[in-house]
Amino acid sequence: MRKILIAIPAFLWQGLWGQEASTFRAYVDTDLCARLMLGPITPGRIECSQKTAKDRSELVLVRLRNNMVFSVNKSKMIAPLVGQLAEVTGDIKVKAGRMKLQDVRPIEGSAIPTGDPDRRLLGTGRSNESNPKTWEKIRHELAMMPYVSEFDFISFTLSGSEVILTGWTVRQTNRDEAYHRVKDIEGVETVINNIDILPLGSFDMQIRAGARAALQRVLSRYFWGSGSDIKIVVKNGQIILLGTVTRKADSDLAFIQCNGVANAFKVFNLLQVQSSPKKSAQTSGFGTSGRRPS
Amino acid sequence: MSRERNGIGSVVVGCSILILLTALWGCSRKQDPQALKKLPQGAEFAGFLSDYKQLKPNPNFENTLSYVNRDDVKNLHKYIAVIVEPVAIYVATNADPSKMPDRGRTALVTYFQNAVIRTMSDAFPVVSEPGPLVLRLRTALIGVDVGDAIDSGANASPEMLARSVDIGKVGVEMEMVDSVTGEQIAAVVDRQSLGAGAVIGSVSFSHDEKYAAANEALDGWAERLRDFLDLAAELSQQERQRADESYQPFTKLQPQ
Repeated sequence: MRKILIAIPAFLWQGLWGQEASTFRAYVDTDLCARLMLGPITPGRIECSQKTAKDRSELVLVRLRNNMVFSVNKSKMIAPLVGQLAEVTGDIKVKAGRMKLQDVRPIEGSAIPTGDPDRRLLGTGRSNESNPKTWEKIRHELAMMPYVSEFDFISFTLSGSEVILTGWTVRQTNRDEAYHRVKDIEGVETVINNIDILPLGSFDMQIRAGARAALQRVLSRYFWGSGSDIKIVVKNGQIILLGTVTRKADSDLAFIQCNGVANAFKVFNLLQVQSSPKKSAQTSGFGTSGRRPS
Repeated sequence: MSRERNGIGSVVVGCSILILLTALWGCSRKQDPQALKKLPQGAEFAGFLSDYKQLKPNPNFENTLSYVNRDDVKNLHKYIAVIVEPVAIYVATNADPSKMPDRGRTALVTYFQNAVIRTMSDAFPVVSEPGPLVLRLRTALIGVDVGDAIDSGANASPEMLARSVDIGKVGVEMEMVDSVTGEQIAAVVDRQSLGAGAVIGSVSFSHDEKYAAANEALDGWAERLRDFLDLAAELSQQERQRADESYQPFTKLQPQ
């Protein structure tokens, strides 16, 4: 009887949180690098993680087995391990991408046995496996999503038949729709959904409004009725500028304008400069262009 | 000193009595039935929307008039969240507002408001503070009628209403306005009859099979409002082309 009385609240609590207890190997990363630098953990990625952690980007865990990103409740526990591997234990909510940390233990990459699925993020040179037609279909489908605004940025990576969706959105429907559009594409078998739902707190809302107004004032040609070439991702007071502009001067101007927005305490400028609005598939990332958050 | 204390005590007691009386008056006050809004005799619209001039028949929805602002600066795409105002009720022209059961009206408003939030919040998350990126969602149920007296007999429960609320001929008016300027961004007058025979006779009608028609009708209107917004948010041919040219994922694992 006593056992039942103890078990019932425990069961109810577990049901409420919708969790599963889990232990897995992970790379300790920042929100910014984890959602933009998909793929192997290269020296460039480690540098990105460490630099953006210093700039107070939120700390997250990337599960080595499948690249899934988890925000954590106690970031202090993983702060000393940024850019390193760890074995973590806690309760995870897969759909929400959250983890309640219980234990963190640093590990070496060499300790992971050869052939273990956890080694997949430690290798390199996996970029030629994807079918360009499938890649283009995914890109087109994501471009056509009607509720994506200048405050959402959705990205993806295709590796073989596996797609990892990533980025940030203010709307749950974008996260769900991106998943459903991509999973139905021929040639896609697995979809990992790492798209983060952004909080709509009043400070962040003020920053969004301020940033858009500032950018539209001086760079109006990048904005149109239903969208924009410049994406303004705002999370907990930080602004991440993404998308493309045609001149370096415009990228610098956008950065300066956003730095002047009230309540914004950090601007990461990741705008890409391309001369033509129609882009080639050879866009740059942290690792290839050496571009770093400003 | 003690006189001073007595004086302070009297003031405190006096204030307490005043507060208590005010509270009691507030609690016991019956809602003035005349305060219920009524559909004007012979009127085409209820007068709930801020503007009816731009409404046009919507070819995609039967019995529906609608308006969507397509302005480059002020359109649905420029807003990312919504404040949901309490649902308004307009009783039918011939209804006697004094017979409208307050508890039934409250149950109706609560259910429909929740249905609207449930169907819309993934596309327009609900917030509480106005701002330049926030819309205000205003919704009204038009033509709610007073139903028959309910004879609960021996099975009477505290949740039962003395008189049912008839939503058999209800329509919906909805608008989304800029939460700062009040400018109308989208509006719809939906006269599609979904509630034939639907009545509400219990505060918890949503759990009662007998009132399933009412649930279906209210859920149906909420879903039509969402469908309307989805259609309004669809990109034009020109916008699709621009979005397609603009969009490039940020990734380095791309095919060579």
